Amino acid sequence: MAPPPASAVADAMNAPARPRDSQTNVDIMAVTKGFHWPWLLAFLFAVAGVLMALGALIYETYYGLGVAGYQAPVFWGVYIITFVFWIGIGHAGTLISAILFLFRAKWRNAINRGAETMTVFAVLTAALFPLIHIGRLWKFYFLLPYPNQRYLWVNFKSPLLWDVFAINTYLTISVLFFIVGLIPDIAVARDRAVGWKKAIYTIVAAGWQGTGKQWKAHNRAVLHLSGIATPLVLSVHSIVSWDFAMSIVPGWHATIFAPYFVAGAIFGGFAMVLVVMIPVRRIFRLERYITDYHFENMARFILFTSLICGYAYGAEYFIAWYSGVEPEQTSFWQRAFGPYWFSTWCMIIFNVVMPQLLWIKKLRTNIPFLFVLSFFINLGMWFERYVIIITSLSREYVPAAWGLYIPSTVELIVLSGSFCWFSMFFLLFLKIFPIIAISEVKELEIHARDHAQAQAQGGAH
Amino acid sequence: MTTLVSVYDLPSDVSTVVRKLKSRGFEDLTTYSPAPFEEIEEAEDPKPSAVRLFTLIGGLTGVVTGFGIQIWMSMDWPIKIAGKNIAAIPPMWIIGFELTILFGGILTVLGLVILGGLYPRSLDEHYSPRFSAEEFGVVVRCEERDVAEVESLMRDNNAKEVTLAASH
Repeated sequence: MAPPPASAVADAMNAPARPRDSQTNVDIMAVTKGFHWPWLLAFLFAVAGVLMALGALIYETYYGLGVAGYQAPVFWGVYIITFVFWIGIGHAGTLISAILFLFRAKWRNAINRGAETMTVFAVLTAALFPLIHIGRLWKFYFLLPYPNQRYLWVNFKSPLLWDVFAINTYLTISVLFFIVGLIPDIAVARDRAVGWKKAIYTIVAAGWQGTGKQWKAHNRAVLHLSGIATPLVLSVHSIVSWDFAMSIVPGWHATIFAPYFVAGAIFGGFAMVLVVMIPVRRIFRLERYITDYHFENMARFILFTSLICGYAYGAEYFIAWYSGVEPEQTSFWQRAFGPYWFSTWCMIIFNVVMPQLLWIKKLRTNIPFLFVLSFFINLGMWFERYVIIITSLSREYVPAAWGLYIPSTVELIVLSGSFCWFSMFFLLFLKIFPIIAISEVKELEIHARDHAQAQAQGGAH
Repeated sequence: MTTLVSVYDLPSDVSTVVRKLKSRGFEDLTTYSPAPFEEIEEAEDPKPSAVRLFTLIGGLTGVVTGFGIQIWMSMDWPIKIAGKNIAAIPPMWIIGFELTILFGGILTVLGLVILGGLYPRSLDEHYSPRFSAEEFGVVVRCEERDVAEVESLMRDNNAKEVTLAASH
């Protein structure tokens, strides 16, 4: 055997025992390590809220849906409102991950993981609500087409069944997209962990080493998942809107519902990303990665989708007036000036009026202002669904059959529990996996370095 | 066979060295990268990824399954609903579409798992945690007589380290 070249041997001997880690790895993985008081307090609060909601749910399951505030003619209440709300929240992640990926909007790289995480847990939260709403939780499988003794199948012409397929597909694709993006970053965690943590990360990282073959398959899979998730995300809230629009209830039977719901979902979803990511950035000192530029871009999205929502609200009122259909006109009059006027005006002020402040750059780049505004937008989006569902149903057909719906304590506990449920999972995720897509951030950083070097050498590559 | 492990700082250097190695007939090589870089993928294997076939098969399976189950189940227990045909096609587009996406997505990920070798296993002998930091690796297996040529090619393209890893 020929002796190895001297230089190679020398390099082997002088190779550093523990190479320098990248600052990006250190900063982002630091979130998962150490002890953070705000995190612990928030987590304990979330767990307490979940336990309370669980108690309320057990109570409701035992005594039946009578403990909810349903009263003729309103039999869709807080549970369906909250279902639509959380599904809407779940739209921002896929929009940022898939649609902005296809548009090659590089600014998404720092926030896409946070938004995707939010999407997965928001859809997971949303998916619970139809089950809670049906009352008999143990019969949930009636929603699925399964072979049974009576040879009966589900009704494929029902929008409620379309919803079952849409939500399950969306949940599955969101989870897959999320995991695919996470794998290279889990490998980063694996390479830096010790003991039992390393053993777990090793299993979850599934042999990822960043080889050319792996990246090629990964990139292609991300591209295809983005391609199919884009129409999916637009379809999901359209289908949710058809739960309403396919009926003949005044205030629901409108062709504008699908785009109106999709825009509202993106609007609310982006606001929730801000509500979640602004404190995360502050507490975990991630200002180097999630910059004000990211938040400003999101504020622009919020402003744009707020205008679409405003247009949709206006169009609904205009069509109700212009159609000359009295029940439709009455329904919309009741929205603004009936017993639920408060929710309608909250919706309009929080979703349309307040976001117009984002035209002012000084406010658009003011992070505490963005946080407060996003909080109100989320409140406004919840009220939007309250308006659509409750006012329409309570003033449904003949005035003699009108009624009022007031959410019961059980429903309100379950509603607040849903926020705690979502937060609990999100907080757990923060401490286990990287909240910023490390490999995607590094892609930008290394590209910039490569480009700078090429320029310094006086030529492009 | 001998294995040479080289380490780089920039993806442009990796893509250049991979191209040159391949043009000289050194095809048995592996790259390690901390992030996705198209130029490296192009240099290493310019053929389109087969993941797209998985997506296509999944999508087609989904659309056939979506319409298939709806038509069959509607016909299996025929009930006239809202004056529509028993197996009315227009409302079936929704679930047909959803299952196209669902199956397409699942098979895309299956393609990634199969083609990327993603299952819990031991890592390559020459893989290093520095490749999940900020450095790049190019591992080449060659005949012992070619070691000097490969090494000089690596060094000429800004390899910061070249290590002779093993001889079998």
